[in-house]
Amino acid sequence: MFSDLSAQKEGSSLLCRPASEDQGPAVFERTSLAYSPSSERYGVGERSFSRQYAHIYAARLMQMRPLLSERAKEKWGSDVLIRKLCDLETGEQCCIVGTLFKRMELQPSILKEITHKKMKLPHNLLPQPARAKYISETDELILEDELQRIKLEGKIDKNKCVTGSVIAIYGAERNDGKFTVEDFCTADLPLQTARPSLSSDRFVLLASGLGLGSSRADSMLGLQLLVDMVTGQLGDLGEQSGAATISRVLLAGNLLSQSTQDKDASTKAKYLTKKTQAGSVEAIRLLDELLLQLVASVPVDVMPGQYDPTNYTLPQQPLHRCMFPLSSVYPTLQLASNPYQADIDGVRFLGTSGQNVCDIQRYSSMDSHVEILEETLRLRHLAPTAPDTLGCYPFYLKDPFILEECPHVYFSGNAPAFESKHIKGPDGQEVLLVTVPEFSSTQTACLINLRTLHCEPVSFSAFSADEDEESEMNISH
Amino acid sequence: MDELYLDNIDEFVNDHDKIVTYKWLSLTLGIHVNTAKQMLFHYLDHKRKESSAQLHATYLVSGKFVDNGQTSHKVSVVREEQLEDVKAKMSLIVSVHVYSVQKALLKDSGPLYSVDYDAVKDNLKNCSKYSAIRCATAVPMSSLELQQAREMHRPPSPEPENKKPAMNGNGILASKPSAKPAKGIMGMFANKSTPKNQDSGREIKSEQKEDAPVVDAPKSRPAAKANPMMNFFGSQPAKKPEKNVKEEEAAQSSSTAAEKQRRSPQPEQKRGDVVAEPQKNTKNDSRSKNKRIEDSDSEEDKMEKKKRRRIKLPEPDSSDEDVIPDSPPQMETREASPSPKKEVEAVTHSYQGNSDGKIRKRRRVLKSRTFVDEEGCIVTEKGYESESYSETEDDFQPTKQALRDPFKASSSKDDEKKSQKKSSASANKGTKQASIMGFFQKK
Repeated sequence: MFSDLSAQKEGSSLLCRPASEDQGPAVFERTSLAYSPSSERYGVGERSFSRQYAHIYAARLMQMRPLLSERAKEKWGSDVLIRKLCDLETGEQCCIVGTLFKRMELQPSILKEITHKKMKLPHNLLPQPARAKYISETDELILEDELQRIKLEGKIDKNKCVTGSVIAIYGAERNDGKFTVEDFCTADLPLQTARPSLSSDRFVLLASGLGLGSSRADSMLGLQLLVDMVTGQLGDLGEQSGAATISRVLLAGNLLSQSTQDKDASTKAKYLTKKTQAGSVEAIRLLDELLLQLVASVPVDVMPGQYDPTNYTLPQQPLHRCMFPLSSVYPTLQLASNPYQADIDGVRFLGTSGQNVCDIQRYSSMDSHVEILEETLRLRHLAPTAPDTLGCYPFYLKDPFILEECPHVYFSGNAPAFESKHIKGPDGQEVLLVTVPEFSSTQTACLINLRTLHCEPVSFSAFSADEDEESEMNISH
Repeated sequence: MDELYLDNIDEFVNDHDKIVTYKWLSLTLGIHVNTAKQMLFHYLDHKRKESSAQLHATYLVSGKFVDNGQTSHKVSVVREEQLEDVKAKMSLIVSVHVYSVQKALLKDSGPLYSVDYDAVKDNLKNCSKYSAIRCATAVPMSSLELQQAREMHRPPSPEPENKKPAMNGNGILASKPSAKPAKGIMGMFANKSTPKNQDSGREIKSEQKEDAPVVDAPKSRPAAKANPMMNFFGSQPAKKPEKNVKEEEAAQSSSTAAEKQRRSPQPEQKRGDVVAEPQKNTKNDSRSKNKRIEDSDSEEDKMEKKKRRRIKLPEPDSSDEDVIPDSPPQMETREASPSPKKEVEAVTHSYQGNSDGKIRKRRRVLKSRTFVDEEGCIVTEKGYESESYSETEDDFQPTKQALRDPFKASSSKDDEKKSQKKSSASANKGTKQASIMGFFQKK
């Protein structure tokens, strides 16, 4: 644990008089690690939006079909019949492979919106109010392959499934044209390269949801404490030497707060907004200053999130260097894409800023972020709901969200709370799942120990006037 | 000397009524943070022993904290009164030290943040100088190194343009747009007056690279990409947008045209390019207008219309005549600079040279015809006429003619080029709001 590591040094406490001149102040060297980014697949070069989204699904199915056929053979015997939908015969037990589609009544549809406008219904009668979850009892599951689709029934939990996942189903077609599911399987985890064993403890700090530029500034001191701790200014000698083992900081999205996204600016009249500056301008300046403090002391990877000034569709491109004039002169600043993949000292990190997880949360009954993370890993796809409900670039040759290699650490940012879990794969893979909490509300970041692949939350707190009124019980948070 | 700091701190706390945090002290006195913490402790101790001074302190406590079975490392700033409480709650104390000393009792930790923020802001360059951790790689790069890093991004990226996109069509151009628009946009941010020269300077340099055949292609890209950015900066002088037209047209040339760009850059081309750079800005204004109005048009029509529209614009600039190169180099320049439109547009026009390979097409163009009617009055009428044109002609000669006689009615083949310009202008007039540049056209 980080605390144990830091507390080892006995003796020198800073509650004493300053030492004499000849004893120089202690300075620790930051441990540097081998780092190689591998997020090239998420870079989008030329952007042509003249293509339809159907190509992604075709590419996805084409790439996942052989994997699923293998898994099906492993699970249901090597003599199981794998049929295409067009070759199905009624009553025959077979396995079909295809993409799931969940028809949801409550799914926001642009056609409904247009109809509503055309019929000139009053505005307060919203046809599709924003909801936390769009699932309902009347949802239907349909399996689609290259040519046809078929309705599914049976032992498959439709509330847990999301559109866009490619699975293999074992069952039979009934007389009425529906397919009865007896069992199903997913592509499960891909192969993993072995993790090198490390000799000493090294840490990577993950934080997300810094929420700069918001009207509420309560989290700023917490953020300052985080920066001070990582840069080695805070704490005793023991803590500082512990902080020197933090070899990398990863900021997983939503560096700016949602309040910087001022939607009104586009609808307000120009003469009202002419002199006003966008909220994000000041926030980016704050971020630049914060990053400057960090990059002067530790390598930092910055991923964009939902509210950051970059493109909306996944994969989000890295934030532009010109926004960080102060910190981009340091080679330790790495502006990364979302999703993010890199090898830190042989440990493969893969993660997103949380948009994919939130989207699945909206369209399924799963609530726990870490559960959803596991599900995406088992489906072998980072964002199955893209492009259906999650904005995505129209790829056509290949779907870059399919996991080809299993990561050692799989994370998603901007979760409501910190959670971590170890899961094992069918071929001996071991993955640490981490949901990085939103710093602006929880004041918590995560420290991952690269040697043991164990994750520990670090929380920061300050005092405020209302704490006096709290009872003894509540003081801990 | 050792005790001097006590007086210093005393002065800050009592006389100036400041909140003295360890970080502020460290940055102000230029000492290591740990020394600052110890100094604060000493001062507090000293003052309290001496006189019962009204001093308050906040402490930093960090340690292991167990909460519902979840162990976490907790770092908190607490008031002196809460110190023992918080220490008791932790299962393992890692560090305790003085965070700040101040005269007044702080109810809220907000002021602590603002003190530190101001201190750091004033010392941005050496905020990590007094910390306890040194990072060997965290050395700011010199401007030369930065430039080199950016240059490194660019040459590899033109290569993939010649190959078919290997992946997804989003391909290997990943680094390219980021580097090039970065370059262009950085240039714009750096210095508005000189970016164009810088850009062109760099691009001229890069033109000379033999291994970057499509270097001309990316050249205009940064500027072209920078154009939407420049829109926000508003008033850029509207000079020489015609070069922009060339570059726009070049956008339509296919990658086979890119091969032609391999021709070694000639001095005229360089000059043309230098001139080309400033014009890119003007392209923005009209282009942005076009974009808004022409959203529903197909890409091809948009390209053509823009091409035509641009040609109309450079009338007021008399220096155009001087710098307009001859048509062969012009063609090369045009080929040489595909704009971002190229990626959107499936390029079908093949551009093989000056006089051959022109694709003749027929299209309906809004033209105005001037004639004398039965009453003896001169009437000007607008009407659609079909005419044939070719993509690949020189724009400059016809532009010049168009300058002089923008609305002369003519549909003969020799005046084809001229009419293309005119018709483009009138076509533009017909389909969208008259641009403010219309004032200059009447000359």
